[in-house]
Amino acid sequence: MSSAKALLLSLALAAFATGASAQTAQEIVAAADKVRNPEQPFHVTATLIEYKAGQPTDKNVYEVYSKIDPATRQFRDVMTYVEPPRDAGKIVLLNGGNLWFYDPASKDSVRMSPQQRLIGQASAGDVLSENLAVDYTPTLLGEEQVEDADHSQRHCWHLDLKAAMDAATYNRVEYWVEQDSDYPIKAKFYSDSGRLLKILFYRNFVTAAGRMRPTQAVIIDAVDPALVTTADFGSLRFQDIPDSWFQRDYLPHLQN
Amino acid sequence: MFAPRFLAVIAVTAPFATATLADSDLDRIPQSATPLPQDDLSPSPSGQVLYLQSDLSLGALRDGLVIPLPPPAPPSWEARIFLDARTRWRLTDNVNFIYSGRFNLRAEDGIAFPSREDVRHDLREGYIAWAGSNGTFLDFGRINLKSGVAMGFNPTDFFKTRAVVEADSADPSVLREDRLGTLMFCAQQDWDGGAVTFALAPQVADETAPYLNTNLPNFNPMFDRTNAHTRALLKVSFHLLDDVSPEVLAYAEDGQMRYGLNATKAVGHAVVAYLEWSGGDRASLVQDATVDGQETGVLPPFTPIPESAMRSFQNDLALGASYATQSEVTLNLEYEYHQAGFSGADWRNWFDAGGNLAIDSELWFIRGYAADQQEPVARASVFLRADWQDAFIHNMELAGFVDTDTQDGSGFLQFSGDYYLSRSWTVGALATTTFGGRHSDFGSLPTGSAVLFKVRRYL
Repeated sequence: MSSAKALLLSLALAAFATGASAQTAQEIVAAADKVRNPEQPFHVTATLIEYKAGQPTDKNVYEVYSKIDPATRQFRDVMTYVEPPRDAGKIVLLNGGNLWFYDPASKDSVRMSPQQRLIGQASAGDVLSENLAVDYTPTLLGEEQVEDADHSQRHCWHLDLKAAMDAATYNRVEYWVEQDSDYPIKAKFYSDSGRLLKILFYRNFVTAAGRMRPTQAVIIDAVDPALVTTADFGSLRFQDIPDSWFQRDYLPHLQN
Repeated sequence: MFAPRFLAVIAVTAPFATATLADSDLDRIPQSATPLPQDDLSPSPSGQVLYLQSDLSLGALRDGLVIPLPPPAPPSWEARIFLDARTRWRLTDNVNFIYSGRFNLRAEDGIAFPSREDVRHDLREGYIAWAGSNGTFLDFGRINLKSGVAMGFNPTDFFKTRAVVEADSADPSVLREDRLGTLMFCAQQDWDGGAVTFALAPQVADETAPYLNTNLPNFNPMFDRTNAHTRALLKVSFHLLDDVSPEVLAYAEDGQMRYGLNATKAVGHAVVAYLEWSGGDRASLVQDATVDGQETGVLPPFTPIPESAMRSFQNDLALGASYATQSEVTLNLEYEYHQAGFSGADWRNWFDAGGNLAIDSELWFIRGYAADQQEPVARASVFLRADWQDAFIHNMELAGFVDTDTQDGSGFLQFSGDYYLSRSWTVGALATTTFGGRHSDFGSLPTGSAVLFKVRRYL
């Protein structure tokens, strides 16, 4: 066989070896999105526990109601604060490019920027449901063997996600998705300036709302090495959510 | 030969070869941070927020006022304990009763202790709420109906007048917390992309003079503050562009109409721009205050009005933006315009007209009226606020704002800090001061500086 033909055969074999699954970066991220969140409207309780130097220091609890907008494939979310008591009753609404914060003490609705989703160690940006395949443009970087939060080795796709719109929570995300299962395993989140903000591990995959899903995210602060937050997602159930919920005029009535 | 082709395949596929990645980040995960049992993740929100707070405030009065303040002087200190409650009771699947109020015990410079004036209940809200299955809501009772998107000044918040009882702070975001609702019937219909709200507030009491610290009722709901005029509001919000949903308002009070517009837009990742406008036929602040003083008996019937009484279409505007930084600081910068406020000529008249107790009383009544109506005295001002979450240490929140009269450069400055000691305890402090010349808006106020200390316990 000539060297040219050998090279062509090599390239063909290489293409077969790496692209045998025929999944694009977009498809991988979309498949992982379906693992993380149901496609049907749903309700979930998020319990966030902050650890400082290994000790639990604070606890926040939220109720999240999520529904995909069929026109954009983005999630629309209403998130109510349950704990701590000083925040109880507050609400965050995310509807496309609109992010609103409602305070029942003042009956005031305040429009927030996407940047304000990141306020707090484990912020609304980490709890609100999001379709990464819609909010980001992914690029497949390759394959990697990654150690998950339980110290098991996972064979993953390594992807780089760039924000596709201003409404995206982070400017850039590095993402590791397990091959074959499409389980999200790990993510790194970067600011507008390129600074690493958080490292997130997904774990505790159990059956919830019809399939295996991660029910805990471990969020490691990249700036303060002593800060770690766990986000446990429970009581996940399908729930019919009217479209009229996703606007600020509805928010004072959500508690009624 | 096989070997070269095999090596070629390896060479081409080398960039995608797998590698083992030991992750040192995993060492930071605490041993105790194990997944919670699913059964533990079903909270039952109580629908209730209850806290006990103790305040101590101290004020320093300004000497040498250009226009002396008629007695009584503002208190130099006040100590207060109050129980603040927000709760709802579910009466049926569709009907709730909502209560929001504050029960106060206080001691204050100039008020005997103990006396009945030391006890007060503020009924902020008490109403029946019915929710239909198709986005229809009907509410009846005392309701705090808040409108507007701006931070410092809300021209479309038509039900704000006379509603603030006794604020812990001059921060506009705090002023809205201890505010009396208005007795009204309110209907709202929501749909995907919009809502229409109609509110009708009947007159159930006569107009009264602004209350002083010394004559606040104990348990009277003070409908004279909120329902001394028949008022109606119609507002419609609708989806216009991808991230713009403006709101238009029409408000009527005793037959006089005002119109309003609210709009916000995100600009990039960190900025939100907003506009809030209202306009309608009205007289100037001076005219309105003087007429009100005459009608409530505070001012003599033939009190002269320092300028000609002409009604005209007057505008109010708040135009601003918020900016959030990566270090969790949120900045708000806002330009505020109140056409009915004091012009330069009004200020000159105000400072020149004083000279005897009767005139001084009228002059201060005008400014007190503006405060009671939640109207700025200034015609134009600039408001700047900063809020910093987790400032320096975790659970420390710092905030500050300055409100500057653009006409004379005087202003009001406030700094505050809250530290969340635990899930139940918060401690905080704030300090305020005014600056400007003696013949200026803020420089002529009787209280120069003040501090407040607070301790809050959630129950």
